[in-house]
Amino acid sequence: MGENSQKNQLNGPIIVNSVVPKNRQELIKWNGWGYNDSKFVIKGGSEVYFSGRRYPIGEQRLPHIYGWVKDVFDVDLSTAVPKKFNDLPDEKAYPNLNVTPEILEKISHFNISFSTKVIDRVIRAHGQTLHEIYTLQNSVFPRIPDVVIWPTCHEDVVKIVNFCHENNIVIIPYGGGTAVSGAPECPPDEQRTIVSLDTSQMNRILWLDKENLVGCFESGIVGQDLERELKVLGFTTGHEPDSYEFSSLGGWIATRASGMKKNVYGNIEDLLVHVKMVTPRGTLEKSCQAPRLSCGPDFNHLVLGSEGSLGVITEVVLKIRPLPKCQKYGSIVFPSFEKGVEFMREVAKRRWQPASIRLMDNDQFKFALILKPESSYFAHALDAIKKFYVTTIKGFDPNRMCVMTLLFEADEKQVETNEKNLYDLCKTFGGFPAGETNGERGYMLTFVIAYIRDLGLQFEVVAESFETSCPWDRAVTLVRNVKHVVADECRLLGITRFLINCRVTQTYDAGCVIYFYLAFNHRNVGDPVRLHGRLETRAREEIVSSGGSVSHHHGVGKLRRKWYGSTVSEAGVGLYMAAKRQLDPKNIFATDNLVTQAKL
Amino acid sequence: MSIVREYDNFLELRKQETSNFLWISKKWNPQIAFKQGSTRPSPQYHKDAVLNSPKIQDLLEQISLKTNVPKVELEHQVKDILDEIGYEKKLKVIRWLGLILTKICLTVLSGIYVNVEQVEQIKNQMGNCPVIFVPTHRSYGDFIMMSYLSFQYDIEIPAIAAGMDFFGMWGMGTLLRDTGAFFMRRSYNDDSLYWTTFKQYIYQLVSKGDLPIEFFIEGTRSRSNKSLTPKYGLLTMVLKPFFFSQVPDIQFVPIGFSYDRILEESLFAFELLGVPKPKETTSGFFKSMKILKENFGNIYIHMDKPISAKEFFGSKLDRSVHNLTPLHKQEVTEDEKTLLPPLAYEILNRQQKVLVTTVFNLVSLVLNNNLAYETELLSMEELACDVKWIREILRSLGGFTHTTNIERSIDDCLKTHKNLVYLNRKGKLKLVRNPISQGEINHKKLKGHYLSDDTMTYSVPFVTLQIYINPILHYFIDIDIILVILDTRPMNEDELFESYCFLRCLFSREFITFAPKDKTAFNAAMNDAISLNLVNLNNGKYQLANNKKLGMLIVNTFYTFYVSFFATLLILERLPSVVDEKSILANVQKLLEDAIVDKHKEFIHPYSLNLDTLANCLNSLVDEKVLQKTRRDNVNAYEINKIKLKDVKDNFARYMTRCSIEERCQIINKIHLQNKL
Ligand SMILES: Cc1cc2nc3c(=O)[nH]c(=O)nc-3n(C[C@H](O)[C@H](O)[C@H](O)COP(=O)(O)OP(=O)(O)OC[C@H]3O[C@@H](n4cnc5c(N)ncnc54)[C@H](O)[C@@H]3O)c2cc1C
Repeated sequence: MGENSQKNQLNGPIIVNSVVPKNRQELIKWNGWGYNDSKFVIKGGSEVYFSGRRYPIGEQRLPHIYGWVKDVFDVDLSTAVPKKFNDLPDEKAYPNLNVTPEILEKISHFNISFSTKVIDRVIRAHGQTLHEIYTLQNSVFPRIPDVVIWPTCHEDVVKIVNFCHENNIVIIPYGGGTAVSGAPECPPDEQRTIVSLDTSQMNRILWLDKENLVGCFESGIVGQDLERELKVLGFTTGHEPDSYEFSSLGGWIATRASGMKKNVYGNIEDLLVHVKMVTPRGTLEKSCQAPRLSCGPDFNHLVLGSEGSLGVITEVVLKIRPLPKCQKYGSIVFPSFEKGVEFMREVAKRRWQPASIRLMDNDQFKFALILKPESSYFAHALDAIKKFYVTTIKGFDPNRMCVMTLLFEADEKQVETNEKNLYDLCKTFGGFPAGETNGERGYMLTFVIAYIRDLGLQFEVVAESFETSCPWDRAVTLVRNVKHVVADECRLLGITRFLINCRVTQTYDAGCVIYFYLAFNHRNVGDPVRLHGRLETRAREEIVSSGGSVSHHHGVGKLRRKWYGSTVSEAGVGLYMAAKRQLDPKNIFATDNLVTQAKL
Repeated sequence: MSIVREYDNFLELRKQETSNFLWISKKWNPQIAFKQGSTRPSPQYHKDAVLNSPKIQDLLEQISLKTNVPKVELEHQVKDILDEIGYEKKLKVIRWLGLILTKICLTVLSGIYVNVEQVEQIKNQMGNCPVIFVPTHRSYGDFIMMSYLSFQYDIEIPAIAAGMDFFGMWGMGTLLRDTGAFFMRRSYNDDSLYWTTFKQYIYQLVSKGDLPIEFFIEGTRSRSNKSLTPKYGLLTMVLKPFFFSQVPDIQFVPIGFSYDRILEESLFAFELLGVPKPKETTSGFFKSMKILKENFGNIYIHMDKPISAKEFFGSKLDRSVHNLTPLHKQEVTEDEKTLLPPLAYEILNRQQKVLVTTVFNLVSLVLNNNLAYETELLSMEELACDVKWIREILRSLGGFTHTTNIERSIDDCLKTHKNLVYLNRKGKLKLVRNPISQGEINHKKLKGHYLSDDTMTYSVPFVTLQIYINPILHYFIDIDIILVILDTRPMNEDELFESYCFLRCLFSREFITFAPKDKTAFNAAMNDAISLNLVNLNNGKYQLANNKKLGMLIVNTFYTFYVSFFATLLILERLPSVVDEKSILANVQKLLEDAIVDKHKEFIHPYSLNLDTLANCLNSLVDEKVLQKTRRDNVNAYEINKIKLKDVKDNFARYMTRCSIEERCQIINKIHLQNKL
């Protein structure tokens, strides 16, 4: 599986052999992030490795982690005993199955694959928030789907939706399960039968149109399959969220996802040309594939961000681009975060952004150094920083300096000019280029960082990320305020070991995106999920008070529902509810996202 | 919340070290308030930032369009304004001043006591958000000491909001500026360019500065040694960056300064009586240097736990209202302004609570009562006995007196105040009375009535003594009100509370009370009064109880304020319904002067003449809508609502049955008054 599957396809849809099998747990952790074979492991007492060879740091010693974990979280990896987690749940773990034999009988007539096995249901009962993963590892969900069903095409979905509508059965669409908003979770009080509609088997490339540079894809295709298949043909969508190995096209649209390289290729809403969404009142779609329409409000934008609550996205026409001739990384160091942000603002003003431009704050910069796989002689991670500091960037305060990572994608000439422009300009802001490797490592890290939470969870350290977007002039103060609130709140809660850092991950004409990491040791402090909930809520309140948005790309789901109304105004909520009532009068897409069911 | 009362004398360290010079040249790496970027912002950086801020730039463009003055020219004006306002920071000057100050302190002071532990705690918490020092302001010593203290504990010397009156003093302005003072014009003017620039400067210092900022919430130095009603101008400016989410929080540190002896005591006494304040000149300053040959005892500094603006406002504040418009196009909202008074009063209350009581405060209280209302003069033993007694009572009310040996402290403070109190040949305590001759006085400069030399000679010592009683009055005011009311007749709680609210509202500016109709303060005072055996309950009615001695002391002490208020009400009753402020003050003072002179009839305390109290009375009446204040050509005038006034006066008169001033009350009209002068 996984290797290119186009040889046997001549005309007609390309059947994509997904990397991710139908039994997801065979490849992917059922109670954590990512591939089963890729994780941080401790060998010989205190040596930390990253296992597997999927990522560049695989199978290398990571000598700095040990000391860092001790310093920051007061965890001694050589003596601490890893926590014991729940076993893979069996039928006993979830004895209740809320579906009648008649319904199951009817479903079986559709000739569409389905399952009522607990393991299948549990795996599709959640996304990737701390709360969900912690529940998987340590307790049980109050509610999981009763049936998992795997349609393979648009028509299958139409059948399922009609059937569920007639029988008042709840549908929760499930793509890659990478949501970090609580969106895929079942509302705990739902009395009706819940069907999890897993789109993974609906992942064909229906056609490509090289003339117009668009392709039609089924919504269940996951990012890495999509890119791999397109690459063979010399194309890319350029949509690359950090979760793209596992997240699906349907999920991207349903959450308004944003990819790292949006500066060149656009966000999902820019890439989207046409979309079909199956609703109880029929399929919402358009009559043509024109690049832009002036024809009343654009209903693409009703589908984008619908978070599974209005219908199922089935077929999507996306823009595609020829593969770039040149791809190059880069990095710039700045004496301080503020200077880095000033530079970014200037770059955005001039619209000089390369495919990706990101700025890590000082803590994250240090963290990146911690993850340096080095067979080095440094006993302590800080030595590495000092060395870096002394040798490379004299004059910078190691506790203030920041690194910006860059990714260029264009033809050679353009990349060259872009590089030169940026590297010249950065000097005005006290920065200077720090090489390609540092840049490349930065991007690699964003993939690996997702794995580190699973290591922490074994040692009573929990972690989560959250993001926002804000006007340029509010960025620095927003960051400062949020860090302050988190520190204050930790003190109040009795949390002494914590980390809060951030990076600016995207730039726009009018503002930027800020992405925070928060982690803390909850030993002897209390229920980590509750504590984290409180911290994240306080942080979000501060974000909103500081001019930031409820979310730039993670979405609202259930986690940020509290701010939906104040964000879109009362009239806005009314409009959403009217659409909901129109498209889904029985509320069978009872995801409880955006607005609570109680209000529907 | 209990207050930790442990104080270290840091002057002791200076006394013991072999070289003050070594100390003053110590390595200077102070704790800053609010870390910023990679380099520390300089004074010039702030000025440039203000000039280039969108706020100022927009304004200049507008003015330029309107007036046709080129923008560059306007920029020059702003630069000049900024140079007038802006602080500087010259470490050398700080060190030299520090050295001189050390020498002076070592000669004139016995100690400077500080609650070091709290100071260290505050220091350790600094770094992450603006820190605002808000000291009491009852002497010029305050901000000098504040900076000195900061230097002592390696806290960055604050940027201090200072009045322009310093600016005039040759050399002093520059000196203060070099140590971190920035200047604010006082006079009312509507020079919008100046004020916009000034506000933006504060905005800059709070949001982008790293120094602690110090300002006086009462807006001016209190001459009475009592708290004044807060001013909201600077507070609003300081809070704006927080309302706009430009800073994560703001920590306000209430600080109480108390002095065994106030440098400006006699100046204040004159000012309180209405003799115009001499303009602060450098020679005046050097004159006051002469005073430095004398002994001033101890200074006590108490830094209270910081008040976090964020915590204080809590969910009452919604900062997201500023999200939709560019910040520089916005101002502090009306909703936000309503949040200020509770904060300001909280700061003032905390200042009052933490202030250290000096033994001389107690001595003054006892002595004043004796001289004014008792027939036999006090001996030292009797004084000591009463001071100990009142100290315990104060302690039960939350006051803290700094002394290790009360007899010795009394001796010490009498030495310190030998210019005011002396033992006569019979070993009894009396006030020193130096003949005062006012010489030529420009009557136009008088704020009130021209008091005769005799009156001045008689009054100044009393007023000076009262200055030392005033800082502890807030412990007793609520009890006093209850006693005064119950003195008329026993009554049930509801009646009592109603009368209490009336008096407390009237006194709310004289004795800073916020929400004067608040029941909790009443309940607390009732509890105190009952446990001190001042009041008891009989058949559902409250009545005066047995502790007559304390009761008398309290009622006597406050009587002078009642007299002032009463006299004001009487005069207002007789004046035409539109009248200028000076006529009111002059008439009240005249009435009181006559009453004071006529000692056989009744003892009227000369402090009743003080203009502070009279002004507070007028302002309270404005609050109560009895008066309406207008200001024309720099002259305050009032319109009197005679019906309401009569109500208030009649109500108040119930507590003034002992007082005979009404009989002599008659109005001197303006012309007559001036002729006489
Ligand atoms: C490590 C990590 C990194 C991430 N990085 C990014 C990033 O860089 N950018 C970004 O935007 N997000 C990121 N995310 C968030 C997440 O990957 C995105 O929200 C993604 O779009 C979710 O897609 P999914 O297929 O996993 O959806 P799911 O988690 O399966 O579902 C999300 C929601 O969409 C609904 N849904 C799914 N498919 C359909 C469909 N076909 N029709 C209707 N509704 C549907 C579901 O019901 C649910 O409400 C990241 C998450 C993780 C864990």
